[in-house]
Amino acid sequence: MKHVKVIATNTICKEKGTGCGECQTGCQSACKTSCTVGNQSCEQKKTNRNTKVKQD
Amino acid sequence: MVHVFKCLGRHFALDVESGSLFEVDELTADLIEKRSPLAKAKGDFSRYSETEIAEAEREIDELVKSGVLFTPAPVHPEPVYKGVVKALCLNIAHGCNLRCRYCFAGDGQYHGSVDFMSPETAIKAIDFLIAKSGTRKRLEVDFFGGEPLLNMKAVRAAIDHARAVEKQAGKEFRFTITTNASLLTDELIEYFNREMYNVVLSIDGRKDVHDYMRPTASGEGSFDKALENSLKLVRARGDKSYYVRGTFTSRNLDFAKDVLALNDYGFGQVSLEPVVLPSDDPLALKEEHIETLKEQYEILAREYISRRASGKEFGFFHFNIDIYNGPCASKRLVGCNAGDEYLAVAPNGNIYPCHRFDGMEDYIIGNVCDGNFDETLPNLFATTNLTKKEGCNDCWAKYYCSGGCAANSIQICGGIKKQYKLGCELMKKRVECALAIGAIESGEQQ
Repeated sequence: MKHVKVIATNTICKEKGTGCGECQTGCQSACKTSCTVGNQSCEQKKTNRNTKVKQD
Repeated sequence: MVHVFKCLGRHFALDVESGSLFEVDELTADLIEKRSPLAKAKGDFSRYSETEIAEAEREIDELVKSGVLFTPAPVHPEPVYKGVVKALCLNIAHGCNLRCRYCFAGDGQYHGSVDFMSPETAIKAIDFLIAKSGTRKRLEVDFFGGEPLLNMKAVRAAIDHARAVEKQAGKEFRFTITTNASLLTDELIEYFNREMYNVVLSIDGRKDVHDYMRPTASGEGSFDKALENSLKLVRARGDKSYYVRGTFTSRNLDFAKDVLALNDYGFGQVSLEPVVLPSDDPLALKEEHIETLKEQYEILAREYISRRASGKEFGFFHFNIDIYNGPCASKRLVGCNAGDEYLAVAPNGNIYPCHRFDGMEDYIIGNVCDGNFDETLPNLFATTNLTKKEGCNDCWAKYYCSGGCAANSIQICGGIKKQYKLGCELMKKRVECALAIGAIESGEQQ
């Protein structure tokens, strides 16, 4: 692709079996006032979530 | 929904529902924007050739066809209350040896009198957590205050008890302590580095900023001791998690300097949070500060990339978004889970939705000592996830902030479904910076 650089695709996992609740509670890490959930880690450490899009 | 944004001099497109992220040229950014149903302006394309426009349009079409752009919003399941608790904040001490000017807890006393949790109550809190945790294996306990080091007897009792029973209960406890570091000793550093999964050390940045905002009870600055002790702890901590965490106020709108100062002192993991105060407080952040603060995040992001590229350890909590493997969709709908899976316990055993509600009589859920537990509030908090909050469904940042902080909504805006708009604006800028940093750094690694 000439105009688009694909950085990451389909990173919000909606697979069945997720939502196990084992990940860290947002407020316990550092913020205590302005929760950022996007930077929490998944305890299941799935590595194959990305479905690749062909990039020329 | 697609969010097109410019950050650090580059153009990006975020497909909100799938989390897909693209770096695009200006033409493509404008063309994607033009396709958005929410687009205000339709763009000026007169400077591009027809061939260029057609080429960019084809690339956009390809992404749409692949299901990674303009992904339709799913119908999320209705939130339900499950009655599971997996994390507790133990307000181990209602009392503090510092007098921070912005303290939401009123000198650590939570608007009451000085009080310390007894070891017996701390043990009961651990038992309460195990009993309420259902099938959850990893349980989290944060020792908070006030200054928890003023009551190490209860901290040790809770940890000893948890360690003694966790295996048999099929649980794994992860402890965090949040401290102003002024009372750390060599023995405590060794103990914390052994027992604490995470340590949060409170320093506000530059010495003059810190000393003004965080004086001791006798009015002296607390910076020198906090820095010396924190460095000692961090240097002995190895690879274990920690954060040096500060607060910025309207008095240091140039807060990027404070984040960088913390990194300069030798801290690799830093967090600096915007203060949350009623708008009539002189230290409160206000709407007129937003643009300045957004610029500060960009300044910080540029320096952040530069320092990391040179090999320096530098993590900033809000820029630490994993653009490839973030949390699952379920997690992104519920956020910090306050009032539901995450609760706070006061020294007298009273249970609150989170540490920010401690001392508010209307928000007492029960007590770990007598076993009372009223499910009304947990039910309300559990069923008010991001899909139920005003304005969140149409916000591009919804899966990164998960609807924001319930305490801010209730205490600053007057309702759990309301949004603390100033916080939203800063959150959105931080997420844009984090995504741009992720994209730029991923390019450098290739």
